Amino acid sequence: MPRVSERVSDGDLIQRVGTGDRSAFEALYRRFARPVLGLALRRLGDRGRAEDALQETFTSVWRSASTYKPERGPGAPWLYAVARNAIVDRGRSRAEAPADPPEEEAIEPGPPEQAEAAWISWRVHRALEELPEHERTVLELAYWSGLSQSEVATFLDIPLGTVKTRTRSALARLAGILEEELQ
Amino acid sequence: MTSRPPDLRELVGDDVPPDELARLGRVHDLLVQAGPPPELPAELAEPPQATGSVSVLPRRRWRTIAALAAALALAAFGIGWLAAAARDSGGESLPKVEFRVPMQGTGAAPHAVAGNWPMAMTVRGLPSLPAGERYQLWLTEDGKLIASCGTFHAEGETVVYLNAPFRLRGKGWAVTREGSKQLLMRTSTI
Repeated sequence: MPRVSERVSDGDLIQRVGTGDRSAFEALYRRFARPVLGLALRRLGDRGRAEDALQETFTSVWRSASTYKPERGPGAPWLYAVARNAIVDRGRSRAEAPADPPEEEAIEPGPPEQAEAAWISWRVHRALEELPEHERTVLELAYWSGLSQSEVATFLDIPLGTVKTRTRSALARLAGILEEELQ
Repeated sequence: MTSRPPDLRELVGDDVPPDELARLGRVHDLLVQAGPPPELPAELAEPPQATGSVSVLPRRRWRTIAALAAALALAAFGIGWLAAAARDSGGESLPKVEFRVPMQGTGAAPHAVAGNWPMAMTVRGLPSLPAGERYQLWLTEDGKLIASCGTFHAEGETVVYLNAPFRLRGKGWAVTREGSKQLLMRTSTI
């Protein structure tokens, strides 16, 4: 099955999905599966429900991609909205015992801050998927594995200088992808 | 495992011009703020099999089809009434669950057992649960619970609409109380 170029825009992929293009659907899934799952985990706090929401999101994408209008905006926010709706639906299906009102002032971020944080995570995780594998690997190890740079070099069996070069290159590439957030 | 964010200068070295360092620093802050992306479980490494006419059915349409084509679908898939696992029901009528799979793939054999199947599950005889508790439907393989298909309330005769984005051959379904692994009902393997 032909692979869709990673350089095709999100919007183009969604439009192709709207025509029933299976390879475009798979490419879109590779780009967005982890961001969608991350968003669902953040909102639902439950792995099983989040995975269900991931599947529902892409079922909805397949079903409704033909309604995407590129003139109304890029593809990532459209898919974010689809994911958010699937997650909200999944959240509504959860039966929760009525909670007593908190007696103390909440210290957790409010809805606007949570929405902002969710959106940033979405974009960062989406951008990570665009990095070449060797660059994404060093970033994930550097930021979230707890390994030092020397330990990353040992783990990957590459020189320390190469680790630093790849890390710098990955951050620069990520900066380009995330330009909107950086402005 | 990680306890604190890495130091940017340690990551990129000391020979980065100030302007670029500032640019990388903004990305660094976003990475720290975003946190790690989750790993996909193996069963979600590939997208749902959303090909063919199964998953693209609008909800209203497949609900209608579910209602109309139940008997045919049941026969096509060999999914029948669930036998209650409980043996000590003391003569009470056994709980029953019926799955109706509206798209049996007669016109698209390659997709006949792999797809994102819209299903209508009709439940009869399950007792109502206390407030806040739900039943859970599972996909099973070799009698083991392998994936949740969702949770539901049951009151009297209840119809639950679900999607099953899985390969179905060799699978079955089971119902538990949410949070419990004890099977209340199960189907035979498809």
